[in-house]
Amino acid sequence: MNLPLSSHQGSGRGPTRRTFLKGGLAMAGLGLGGTALAGCSSDSVASGLTVSRKETNSVDFWNLFGGGDGVRMQEMLDAYRKTHPSVGLSAVTLAWGNPYYTKLSLATLGDKPPDVAVAHLTRAKTLIAADLLEELTPDALATVGITPDKLSKRAWDAGLVDGKAYTVPLDTHPIVTFYNTDICEKAGLLDSGGKLKPLTSEAAFMDAMAKAKAVTKTYGGVSPINNETSTPWRIFQSLYSQLGGEVLSDGGTKVVIDEDRAIKVLTFLDGLRTKQLFPSSVDYEGSIAMFANGQSAFLFQGEWEISTFQTAKTPFSMAPFPNLYGGANYACQADSHTLCIPKQPARDDKAFENSLGFIRSLLDQSDTWAAGGHVPSWLPYAKSPAFKKLSPQSDYAVAADGAVYDPDGWYSGSGSDFEIITGSAIGSVQAGQQTPEAALAQMRTKLQTLADTASPI
Amino acid sequence: MTTTSLEAARRTPSRGRVTTAEVDTRTRLFNRVCLGVLIAFAILWLVPLAWALDTALKPNAETTKTTWLIDNPTFAAFTRTLQETDILRWYAASTITSALTAVFTVVTASMAAFALSRMNFRWKNWVFWFIIAGIMIPGQVLIVPQFREFNSVGLLNTFWAVILPQVPTAVAVFIFKQFFDGLPRGLDEAAMMDGAGFWRIYTTVIMPLTRPAVAAVAIFTFVHTWNNLLWPLLVLTNPKLMTIPVGLATVQGSFGIRYADTMASAILGALPLIAVFLLFQRHIVQGIAGTGLKG
Amino acid sequence: MSTQTATRGTHRPRVATGSSQKFNDHSRPAMAFLAPFVGLYVLFIIGPAIYGLVMSFFDTSLVKPGLSTFAGLGNYAEALQSADFWSSLWHTIWFTILTTPPLIVLGFVLALLADRVGRGRWFFRLAFFAPFILPSAVMALIWIWIYTPGLGLLENALKSIGLGAPNWLGDPAWAMPSLAISTVWWTLGFNFILYLAGLQDIPTELYEAAAIDGAGPWQQIRSITIPLLARTTTLVAVLQVIASLKVFDQMYIMTAGGPNFSTRSVLQYIYDEGFTNFRVGYASALSMLFFVVVLAVSAAWFAIVRSQESEV
Repeated sequence: MNLPLSSHQGSGRGPTRRTFLKGGLAMAGLGLGGTALAGCSSDSVASGLTVSRKETNSVDFWNLFGGGDGVRMQEMLDAYRKTHPSVGLSAVTLAWGNPYYTKLSLATLGDKPPDVAVAHLTRAKTLIAADLLEELTPDALATVGITPDKLSKRAWDAGLVDGKAYTVPLDTHPIVTFYNTDICEKAGLLDSGGKLKPLTSEAAFMDAMAKAKAVTKTYGGVSPINNETSTPWRIFQSLYSQLGGEVLSDGGTKVVIDEDRAIKVLTFLDGLRTKQLFPSSVDYEGSIAMFANGQSAFLFQGEWEISTFQTAKTPFSMAPFPNLYGGANYACQADSHTLCIPKQPARDDKAFENSLGFIRSLLDQSDTWAAGGHVPSWLPYAKSPAFKKLSPQSDYAVAADGAVYDPDGWYSGSGSDFEIITGSAIGSVQAGQQTPEAALAQMRTKLQTLADTASPI
Repeated sequence: MTTTSLEAARRTPSRGRVTTAEVDTRTRLFNRVCLGVLIAFAILWLVPLAWALDTALKPNAETTKTTWLIDNPTFAAFTRTLQETDILRWYAASTITSALTAVFTVVTASMAAFALSRMNFRWKNWVFWFIIAGIMIPGQVLIVPQFREFNSVGLLNTFWAVILPQVPTAVAVFIFKQFFDGLPRGLDEAAMMDGAGFWRIYTTVIMPLTRPAVAAVAIFTFVHTWNNLLWPLLVLTNPKLMTIPVGLATVQGSFGIRYADTMASAILGALPLIAVFLLFQRHIVQGIAGTGLKG
Repeated sequence: MSTQTATRGTHRPRVATGSSQKFNDHSRPAMAFLAPFVGLYVLFIIGPAIYGLVMSFFDTSLVKPGLSTFAGLGNYAEALQSADFWSSLWHTIWFTILTTPPLIVLGFVLALLADRVGRGRWFFRLAFFAPFILPSAVMALIWIWIYTPGLGLLENALKSIGLGAPNWLGDPAWAMPSLAISTVWWTLGFNFILYLAGLQDIPTELYEAAAIDGAGPWQQIRSITIPLLARTTTLVAVLQVIASLKVFDQMYIMTAGGPNFSTRSVLQYIYDEGFTNFRVGYASALSMLFFVVVLAVSAAWFAIVRSQESEV
């Protein structure tokens, strides 16, 4: 190797190093440029090198709304920006489900959580137990005019932990019945007012599906099964709760599935497949398509799909999920989107004030949100004539009062392991891959494992 | 190379059953087939990136037609991405963390390697094996305790959380030590005769000769830190502080069906490293090839 | 600093005799030079490794300070009996099986072709290696788009020649192969370069001699190239296997471990248990088991390389 001797004079800097230095400077320049561009506010990237906390007048908002909900939320956020021009609002949308809650938890642990976050009521319970949310005292809420009497009682009470509130419900989103009005009319399933006649027994339901199938020539009803665990769970839970059954108790430490009731429901769902009233292999998108183009007269899904069919101009209306077993005790699976304030590392009154104001602003725009199909929790709007005129939302709003939330448990809630376990077992029955007994046994075993695991919170 | 050697073979009279003419045509045909196959694969390999660029240049509405032709080419997707996402901040975050990690790694690893290579002390072997043992520990195994550690000192959501665990790279020490061991001791001794101490020897004699190793370690550390996803994903949860991989992975949900915008963000995310690659191609390739030769 | 220490006291310049340094003890400057690295190393590698080991014996929670309740070997027992753990291990192995052979064979074949062709090597290097330099997130976004049902390029390409296409990322049977395909595209360049370097090391005289003996191209490859690249192949294989064991990014971004956890790798399982379910004690035990697996594979490589070297 040829080596220059005596580099005391520093003559050893060769071209390669120069290139590297040049490259390095270029990179640094890019970084500095980026910093300059991004560094106008005190929330600059350079703050990543210091343990600084932001002090500016702004609200960071995290949500998990994509698709139609996302568009509607954007509208509401833009309206907030117009009415509060001095407050810098920055909103981030993250992927729905476990990834969202993991990031929210990690951000709160990492001392840089958003100011306000959306959380499903059932998942918020876990966050509250993990001490990651700020308590919203009656006084604090009153400063922006939010009082319990202005919120849906069911949603509000369901969110309380030891009588304390940590979340403000924005809506309740139950599973509902979508029905094609043209097909149902031909099948003779509508009443004189053009609304679906209530189906109040297994036999009535099967009969209606058969009549619908005679018109569509393919299927009577549809609900997604493939690669989908939430919907099978929601359908099962609605019917099972109507029978009075429960799945977990004692904060998720006990599995209390009632064998008979569960088998009854699973057998019924299995029957829909064997009688070929429902398809046994269809994924989420497929089920939407089937309903939109009239291959199925009924779709059982969450109300949020209302915009899809309005855009597709399908002749449809909506009704509460059928009350097959409940009689006077109607039940349907639902969850609520709530707004919460994650625990901040340092108490900042101004930020807290801004956050509450932001929450109030979203509640004030419940009309925009309800247009997306959700049942508003904000009573000043929900009880107003304007909402009552909103169709078909007002047709199924009553379902919110019979909302059954997922049972308490550190592993439970919307999109959680609990729903994945139950949903895949139920879905396998709907797909004809397992008998009801086998699926129930699978569900019980897997839930028992989780129930036996010491809670990490 | 091989072609010329075969041409040489052609000119020599061959023994055995094969005639020179047959060898000639067979070889040429074979070579042509080789070239064809190679070009086909190369084009195949370029398709995904080209397709991403093609999509990014379309208006969002046009992305529903799966065709290479663009009716209304536009850079709008890029400008939207630049304005609506924090991608500029992500650039800065990535650059700062990668550059600092590279610098710290080169400095600390070369210093340690210098001590191990050039100095005598009783416990030298122990320290060497202690450090080399670290090569056996994959970083992914440590994410859980490291997270707890940074959480307890309140350093989450800072760049230090990303930089510090990635600096002590045992492999870097190994590379530098190998390199130093190859430099003649005569240089040290000459410098010492001139009255230089270890620090002077390190900075003015050894390091200036270590360009190849510095370049290799710096570039690889830079690229590796830049592309790291798992650890920054855990510690950078504020969208304003995220590095490019974390930012792209986290907010991909917010684009929905705006595929042109999604592809634009992907292209923008790739640009800095493509630039690095084009600038330092030779070093990167040499570095990888060196790994192979060392076995 | 160490400059002062070195020049002032520790040793005097001597006339070079070659053995001038032998009797000196450079402990103090050594410590100064080693301190930054070793300090960071202990703080951020060794320390956490020990802490992780300790945590694995407790039911530590992410959202609670301290170690919480002692669990003894409970976490390990749970892991070894957990269907989720074993299936995540299987998914990782399946991923390794799907990616390693194509990456080795394709890398070798393409390098061979490029070496034979000789010209335009910069173009092929760019084509195959450019994907390797991309962050995983960029690769993932591009392939998610290629795999999009209805609009994806792959589906349309297959349809145009009359073939059907599955729901690449949504079908449990196809999700892992889809991830494997995108991974092969992403990382082939590395093996390509390794093989190319190895090929260039083979002396041309060997080929010439074989050609004189009447060996055709195929024979030459079989009897000269492949055997001489054995060490490179071993290296490629081991690097590939170890890297595949640590796979996380593709699953996390492209399928979130789904559908129905069918693509969840070991590392992703550790992430889910530790950071989504807050169970860091259990996740630490999982990490230790994972470490043992990686160690075993590395040890196996060491043994293979040792035996190969003793053969040569």
